[in-house]
Amino acid sequence: MTWDSRGKTAVVGIGTSKLSRKADKPLGLLALDAARAAMEDAGIAPGEVDGIVTYPDQPFLGAGNRDGEDLVTVNFLIDHGGLAKDLKWYSQISSGMIPSAFIEGVNALVAGTCNYVLVWRAMHLPAGTYGAWRSNRAGGDTQFTAPFGAANPFQWHALAYQRYMHRYGAKREHMAALVTNSRRNANLNEQAYFYSQPMGFEDYMNARMVSDPLSLFDCDIPVEGCTALILTTADRARDLKHPPAYIAGYGQQALKRPSLTTYTVDDYMACGGSTVDKIWSMSGLGPKDIGAAQLYDGFSPSTYYWLEAAGFCGEGEAWQFVQDGRVALTGELPVNTFGGSLSEGRLHGMGHLAEAVRQVTGRAGQRQIEGCDASIALDGSPMLRNAGILFTSEP
Amino acid sequence: MADLSPRPVPAPDELTQPFWDATAAHRLEIQRCTACGYYNHPPKRLCDQCTSPDLGFVPVSGRGQVYSYTVMRQTSIAGFEDKVPYTTLLVELEEQPQLLLVSTVPGDGAGIAIGQSTELWWEPIEEGFVLPQFRPIA
Repeated sequence: MTWDSRGKTAVVGIGTSKLSRKADKPLGLLALDAARAAMEDAGIAPGEVDGIVTYPDQPFLGAGNRDGEDLVTVNFLIDHGGLAKDLKWYSQISSGMIPSAFIEGVNALVAGTCNYVLVWRAMHLPAGTYGAWRSNRAGGDTQFTAPFGAANPFQWHALAYQRYMHRYGAKREHMAALVTNSRRNANLNEQAYFYSQPMGFEDYMNARMVSDPLSLFDCDIPVEGCTALILTTADRARDLKHPPAYIAGYGQQALKRPSLTTYTVDDYMACGGSTVDKIWSMSGLGPKDIGAAQLYDGFSPSTYYWLEAAGFCGEGEAWQFVQDGRVALTGELPVNTFGGSLSEGRLHGMGHLAEAVRQVTGRAGQRQIEGCDASIALDGSPMLRNAGILFTSEP
Repeated sequence: MADLSPRPVPAPDELTQPFWDATAAHRLEIQRCTACGYYNHPPKRLCDQCTSPDLGFVPVSGRGQVYSYTVMRQTSIAGFEDKVPYTTLLVELEEQPQLLLVSTVPGDGAGIAIGQSTELWWEPIEEGFVLPQFRPIA
């Protein structure tokens, strides 16, 4: 049975700050830039925003935690956002990535708690080597990894990807199709960090290896900046400036997982599937209805896992599925039409939500998919806590 | 490069001290649930499988196989800057599926394959700690 509130809420505004490797202002101001741009895009005044929500986590464990500089919490927006004098509601979540924050906003609107919700994701890029381990003491679970020279998230992803390749016969050259496709899409996205830098098959194959089988180009590009969205109820949405992107369903990964210090690929089908099954069930839609899929790519193999877990192809087949232009803008399932985190920049899944909104509202410019009535954004890896949203152009 | 950073040393706590006490004596012991028999690694307050608090350390065989591996090429871990490339091995112990331990093998992983059997050896490091390490065997 489909969700009673299917199509009752919508995204009506998108705002982005500049994305760069080194911003000329503090992250808090980038978040305000994005928030104001989203309100302006929606055609509402800041004073009309009466609900706010984010997933504010630092870019990696051990990064700084100064509000407005290293991260941007709801406290910062309340103090500096010039929002409704008396906010009706706010929340910030610590698990399940930015779609989980988004879902909180949807639920608040469905409950009638507020009228306009601001959702944002701000990402800082600290100086120095991203996510480097610099401590000579390893406490907690890290005492079983760091003394062995394993402490960077890309190592966990590399271990999982190696096993995937072994199990299904994928080779590194197969990934070139997916990664270069994302770059071609980014070359049509002015906001993308790699907007003006093309990448071909040879460029990918010659990339510096980071942790085999992952190369530099299999890792998303860390940036600093913010993207913000405005959500409201469907009845309000109809009177605003742009066509609404209706929320048809959402899902979160909530299966019990083995507690491991490393990632494995043993249960990505079940865990990713549990998220997506909720979305299909709430929306009444399925993989064949999706005009464009925005699939998390903090590390490139996550997109493989999503393609399979969501049922866009069979288990172990994603490396074949992405070949022959099948995931290109002109293909049967355009994937990461904005360039993904790999080529637009690491907004930790917020870019995927924004692009899904653009695609179902005809606002994706040169990369617009004709007749894209439904776009799904799945954030996080299926191997981890993750969440997703399905947007449609009709309620 | 300037002075090399010291390699990270385990910082045991009440929960993990028995593991390191055992390795100092060249014994590999893994926390096991008294109630359901499930091995928990890293050690837990409550069993991952049945939530029982009745957990104790028991010896394991040390036999396992390569679950996965990756060749580390970045100098982004303190104390390992001069060791790249080295291979991070994920070893699955024979006692239980997904009972995984991380290990270090010098070099670029040539000849290593998933499913290969491994053997345990002991690496003394600073401050009296002894790391349980695994290497693939032919």
